Amino acid sequence: MLRVKSGDETAFAQLVLSYQDRLVGLFTNMFRDPVLAEDLAQEVFLRIYRARAGYEPTAKFSTWVFQISHNLAHNSRRSKGRRNETQFRSEDTSSVGSRPKESQIAEKSGLMPVRQLDKEELRERVREALSTLNERQRMAVLLHRFEGMSYADIGDAMELSPQAVKSLLSRARENLRQVLEQYVQ
Amino acid sequence: MSKLQRLSAEDRDNLVAYLDGELDESGTRRIEGVLGQSSVARTDVEQLARTYDLLDELETPRASENFTERTIASAKLEQIKPSLAQHPWFVFLRRVSPIGGWAIVIMVAAAIGFSITRLAVPQEDDVLLENYPVIKELDVYSETGNYEFLDRLSREQELLDQMSREAHRESQ
Repeated sequence: MLRVKSGDETAFAQLVLSYQDRLVGLFTNMFRDPVLAEDLAQEVFLRIYRARAGYEPTAKFSTWVFQISHNLAHNSRRSKGRRNETQFRSEDTSSVGSRPKESQIAEKSGLMPVRQLDKEELRERVREALSTLNERQRMAVLLHRFEGMSYADIGDAMELSPQAVKSLLSRARENLRQVLEQYVQ
Repeated sequence: MSKLQRLSAEDRDNLVAYLDGELDESGTRRIEGVLGQSSVARTDVEQLARTYDLLDELETPRASENFTERTIASAKLEQIKPSLAQHPWFVFLRRVSPIGGWAIVIMVAAAIGFSITRLAVPQEDDVLLENYPVIKELDVYSETGNYEFLDRLSREQELLDQMSREAHRESQ
């Protein structure tokens, strides 16, 4: 990043290459929308580029990247939430829509043991289980599981104390366990 | 009753932190003690670990082929033409605009207030000028002691003028 700050365009290209898949993966798992994920990932890089002149290496660079990502995801989630409000309402009127999502997930494969589940089907269950978490829980889980970030680093990225991250991850994993219980017996 | 409800909230948090290797030495010893004594806690830890492993089933999406080029091109475009919000004068304007806005509002309000006051409230000077003929002869009128007469007299401009002329002549 210091090379980017000094105007090295090649360094910026290297930075994009080393983080693009991680950010696109993070946003895709957050929103299940590949187009939005690429837009958000690109916006993260543009924000980094804009802020390069004032960059000071006071903290881990990756933490700063994921802090920007978290803020973008949070803002995007708010506007997306408003847009989706009508969609959720229309889903509620369907025959299964009024029941909790967890029960729907369990029902869909209630008669199937986990070994018989097609790989893609299991993946879909996990995706749906992840989508039952709130935004902060989901972000914390993804940063921890896929980025291997410590509680302290997640706390820095999400502006939370390590203790709060511990509780957040604990609740998230307990929620996931409840939703996916039949697949881990 | 769920199995986890038999543990305190802190123990539940610590079980997860133990799995993640985030507990300090004393915390680790304590949880290992709990795990040694409680088969429920052991089952919970196993289930939590297996649930977390299921996340590996999620796909790992990759950026599209031209993502890097598009991103670098967008960044270069910004370098050529920085966004409006990046200009120092725009930043300055954005910073001072609330103060400037209030200053303009106050100035406009003051101007309106001044105009209204000037038009609606008669000025003392205007009244004095208007009643100058009467004021000029006030001593004479006071001697008569009849203010009703004075009041009526003050409205008779012609008579006042005449009286004024006569008084002037007499004094000469």
